[in-house]
Amino acid sequence: MNVPHVALRDVSKIFTRKPDFAERLAIRLGLPKPPVLRAVDGVSLEVNHGEALGLVGESGCGKSTLGRIVAGVHGKSGGEFRFEGKEEAGWTAEDARRARLDIQMIFQDPMSSLNPRKRIADIIGEAPVVHGMVARADRETAVAELMQEVGLDPGYARRFPHQFSGGQRQRIGIARALAVQPKFLVCDEAVAALDVSIQAQVLNLFMDLRERRGLTYLFISHDLGVIEHLTDRVAIMYLGRIVEVGPTPEIFRKPAHPYTQALLDEAPRVGRGRRVYVPLKGELPSPLAPPPGCRFHTRCPHVMPVCKTTAPDLKPVAPGRIAACHLNDTTEQEE
Amino acid sequence: MSALLEVRGLKTHFDTRAGMVKAVDGIDFTLDAGEVLGLVGESGSGKTVASFSILGLIDPPGRVVEGSIRFKGEELVGAPVARMRQLRGREIAMVFQDPMMTLTPVLRIETQMVETILAHEKVSKKAARDRAISVLARVGIPSPEDRIRAYPHQFSGGMRQRVAIAIALLHSPALILADEPTTALDVTIQGQIIAEMQKLVAETGTAMVWVSHDLAVVETIADTVAVMYAGRIVEHGPSAEVIGNPAHPYTEGLLNSIPSRTTPGQRLNQIPGMAPSVLHLPPGCPFAPRCRHAIPACATPPPVQYVGAGHMARCLAPLSREVAS
Repeated sequence: MNVPHVALRDVSKIFTRKPDFAERLAIRLGLPKPPVLRAVDGVSLEVNHGEALGLVGESGCGKSTLGRIVAGVHGKSGGEFRFEGKEEAGWTAEDARRARLDIQMIFQDPMSSLNPRKRIADIIGEAPVVHGMVARADRETAVAELMQEVGLDPGYARRFPHQFSGGQRQRIGIARALAVQPKFLVCDEAVAALDVSIQAQVLNLFMDLRERRGLTYLFISHDLGVIEHLTDRVAIMYLGRIVEVGPTPEIFRKPAHPYTQALLDEAPRVGRGRRVYVPLKGELPSPLAPPPGCRFHTRCPHVMPVCKTTAPDLKPVAPGRIAACHLNDTTEQEE
Repeated sequence: MSALLEVRGLKTHFDTRAGMVKAVDGIDFTLDAGEVLGLVGESGSGKTVASFSILGLIDPPGRVVEGSIRFKGEELVGAPVARMRQLRGREIAMVFQDPMMTLTPVLRIETQMVETILAHEKVSKKAARDRAISVLARVGIPSPEDRIRAYPHQFSGGMRQRVAIAIALLHSPALILADEPTTALDVTIQGQIIAEMQKLVAETGTAMVWVSHDLAVVETIADTVAVMYAGRIVEHGPSAEVIGNPAHPYTEGLLNSIPSRTTPGQRLNQIPGMAPSVLHLPPGCPFAPRCRHAIPACATPPPVQYVGAGHMARCLAPLSREVAS
């Protein structure tokens, strides 16, 4: 059987704020505790070896938090995290080290994720030396090779991050992630801040790297065009929960959740010409007080009474596809 | 009838220590009432400086060095500060990418809107407030009578942008300059804002310059598209023409860079290299070093050529016309 590269089961992340003095007093006097933020709420997801999985959603839906849990930046509040079949709780020190090195992260804004006071050679070369992957004496060659691989001139190794353009900085971030020979990259809006022509160059780089190194990707983005182009499967998130997962081409052809449908309808795409928008009403409800039942019911054009009380489960709608919508229980007979 | 806005040979340069930055270097376009122009370009192409020049918002070391901007026949280049102040907000309004550039965080929406009305018109506070509420309702803010009492931080990003648009609409301006107004927003909110803007343009006959890097957004809203590169308009024409049948290799390259236009998984036809520094522009076509079709003659300044009705390209050898349908 195929063991997924990374498997999440029922993973949650809760952010709480420490109550201040007055609030502690109020709680002691019997007032309710302040609400907690469930950024990720019971998410199960598998990423297979060599696969590119897209994670899509609006700001505040928890997609970045989920990506950070996978990359080990945030701890999870509940649920299981398996790396190559091994659950996090049962990791040995060596397992943990391998998992952390194998999964690397690339951030949206390379300027705030690169130390402005370090030279490129140090930014890229530090981690592999610390982890004993590269001898200190070979550092220079290793850095030069990495820079070449991501399309940077190795002659710039002594420069600082501010001396590079946005696209080049993103390449530095990629080289830094690749330096510890990861097998799994979490890309959090990695091309969102780049101009279209530079974005295309970096996307091509991601595709080349995947081919060359056999990488697994978790690609987080709000840009559906990027997701469609780069990923094999896609997961759609709404308010901390996954509402639909399936092969990218199929989801783009015929989404099984009204939210996915709305996202696809509203993403402007070149070639559609001038058209009149019929936008989705309302905004993302506050994750501090998510609506009961299906979390999307406040904005859904097909809302039914059952949606307001019962949260739909993720059910198979086609081979390899799951979606969480009550409509899927009924529409089959109709169509 | 003369055009609402007529920009001729506009050059805005910044005299910096490193040298003369020719941010906008000779652009021409006209805009009629009710027309929407999409001004497209990548970072540093000069699209924002162009729209700031129209509003007279260029601060030293920047300066409009040449050209003319005629608004309703009136010359704006060199117009007195007091006159520009009269026009700004009343006749020409601006919507910025970040609504917090328009809104001050320390005053209620009500105060800010009423102040804006009273700055240009002698009406009672009551009348001003009523107008503010009706405009807020028009841009789709629910229960505007209550929400007008809120502070900007009490709104979400999308709602804040609606407030900024409402402020731009207070005086029913003849021209709105929108600088990346939906870039910072989520797709569903972006869809809402575009829908509102489309409705407003159709209802009020306001002309609009929509500045954006996103060709897809521009295509949905603009009548004509002007593509900027290194301070110049390299292609300009009806939006269906420019996007469906680009004549300039740069426009073609931009379109090919958009992932959704290529078969998924295929390499994108990227434009090699980077935009040139506007400090050291090559004497000929600034795009030539990155152009797939460049020939030696591109080292001389490229001529403006017309490839269709109202469709120009600043290129020595515009892309061969595909069979037009």
